[in-house]
Amino acid sequence: MILICGIPSETPITLVTKALTNLGVNYVMFNQRNFKNMSMRFELNHGQITGLLSINGHHYPLERFQGVYTRLMDVQQLPELATEPPNTLVRQNAQILHETLMHWYEIAPIRVVNRTEPMGSNFSKPYQSQLISKHGFLPPETIITNNPEAVQCFWNKHKQIIYKSISGIRSIVQTFTEDDLSRLDLIRWCPTQFQLFVPGTNIRVHVVNTAVFATSIDSKATDYRYAVNQVGNSAQLTEVKLPDELAKRCVDLTQSLGLIFAGIDLKITPNGDVYCFEVNPSPAYSYYESHTGQPIAEAVASYLANKST
Amino acid sequence: MWLILSASHDFHAQWAFTQLQQRGLEPIEWITDQQFAYANCWEHYVDQQGCSVTFKLTDGRTIHGQQIRGVLNRLLTFSTDHFVLAKQSERLYAAQEMNAFFASWLHSLPCPVLNSPSATGLSGRWRHISEWIWLAYQAGLQTDLYQESDLTPRNLYHMQGQLSPPTPSTQTVIIIGQHVLGHSMPPMVITGCRELAQLAQTSCLEINFSVDEKERWFFSGASPLPALIETGEAGLDALATIFFGW
Repeated sequence: MILICGIPSETPITLVTKALTNLGVNYVMFNQRNFKNMSMRFELNHGQITGLLSINGHHYPLERFQGVYTRLMDVQQLPELATEPPNTLVRQNAQILHETLMHWYEIAPIRVVNRTEPMGSNFSKPYQSQLISKHGFLPPETIITNNPEAVQCFWNKHKQIIYKSISGIRSIVQTFTEDDLSRLDLIRWCPTQFQLFVPGTNIRVHVVNTAVFATSIDSKATDYRYAVNQVGNSAQLTEVKLPDELAKRCVDLTQSLGLIFAGIDLKITPNGDVYCFEVNPSPAYSYYESHTGQPIAEAVASYLANKST
Repeated sequence: MWLILSASHDFHAQWAFTQLQQRGLEPIEWITDQQFAYANCWEHYVDQQGCSVTFKLTDGRTIHGQQIRGVLNRLLTFSTDHFVLAKQSERLYAAQEMNAFFASWLHSLPCPVLNSPSATGLSGRWRHISEWIWLAYQAGLQTDLYQESDLTPRNLYHMQGQLSPPTPSTQTVIIIGQHVLGHSMPPMVITGCRELAQLAQTSCLEINFSVDEKERWFFSGASPLPALIETGEAGLDALATIFFGW
């Protein structure tokens, strides 16, 4: 039996639950919005983990779960808590329930997509970039600084640069232009990340265990995820097949980060150089699957259920 | 040059700084989170040739990454005092950015960094007690029954990786690199502690035990921010060996 954690109506979740049904695999939905009707406990005794998850009066021994797919949203942002004042018992209880869940699946010896700790490398893009480089992917030339003069030099040298956040917050890629010079002094408050713009083809690679799904993205936007806002047209997505060596590197990279499921952002230059910008540990893969028909959800479901695709 | 990084009130860091200086580890600099917050200039490069970092503090010190031969990293988080006039959402964003930035430049240093940054802590990974108990069992240490439920109030000690506050029966072992420091430790505990530090990928680790009347050592918690003063001369020997030896 598989435990699905998150918001049932969210497309990445819906696709996996459908895939599980198609495989004939039972699942239980930990619907975050239903927190008032759920309860959980577990115990750890000489390396053995047992416990119980109760949902709407139904009781599920934790030992029955062979896998977990988790896409939890921030508990405190749940619509059911929107009118709750800060620090009420309701908010605390919702939080503790989710923490108990996460503490359990962080250590449970079952298939979890993905555990919390490995997802953490994404909290710092340049930190993750250093981990990525060990697998032969090129990092874009980057400066992180609070010194406007250093940025000016970087811009003068490269002519085309972009800027974005260092952490995963407010992570929208923007092109640096002459208009930005007048506000460059603002970076004295907080170091900001600037990168050489790398021309080429955006490729998003989804890795599920050892399965690889690659999508080519055609867009003139700096950040194709916001193509409509940036250039007025949405991006064009096409399924592509990676060379075996590159596919293997993507699998090795994913595993080295401790992840089962990852969305890897590559750019392949006209020269054939392969840059990697990010490994996303909780990819919103449905956007790509809906455009290309790639069976990513089926691969996730098969992994969780330990069935070959 | 060697660096000790910590909060300004970290007397373990201050002790290590003073003692290591007296042992001839020179030049050694102690830089606090508040000094970093007001740094004049940061430049951190990441590219195909590798990484570099340079920062200039308001007291005139300039640190280049390539000069650094070792770091004792006890930073918990980044100070945001200088953002006090900003909106809370902006302060939170800036704090996230600074933590992400620190993780990158610390990780980029080629010299020993005790401890390396992680997503859940600038000076090593802070784990919930449930995860520590799981790891301790894998490491061969004795563990007691642990229970958790959404019906019991949040336990702050558990969040900090401890079963409970220290008691008279608490024994502490501190790992610094390969060195296992403590009193009257059974051989299995020494082996298990080394293994736990390896599993946890944490070079500087404090491991606590509750010792019962039969002298059995039960794991009771761990922290990536060990009480260094407790290690005395042995701890200083361990740090000096690691830093001089690189």
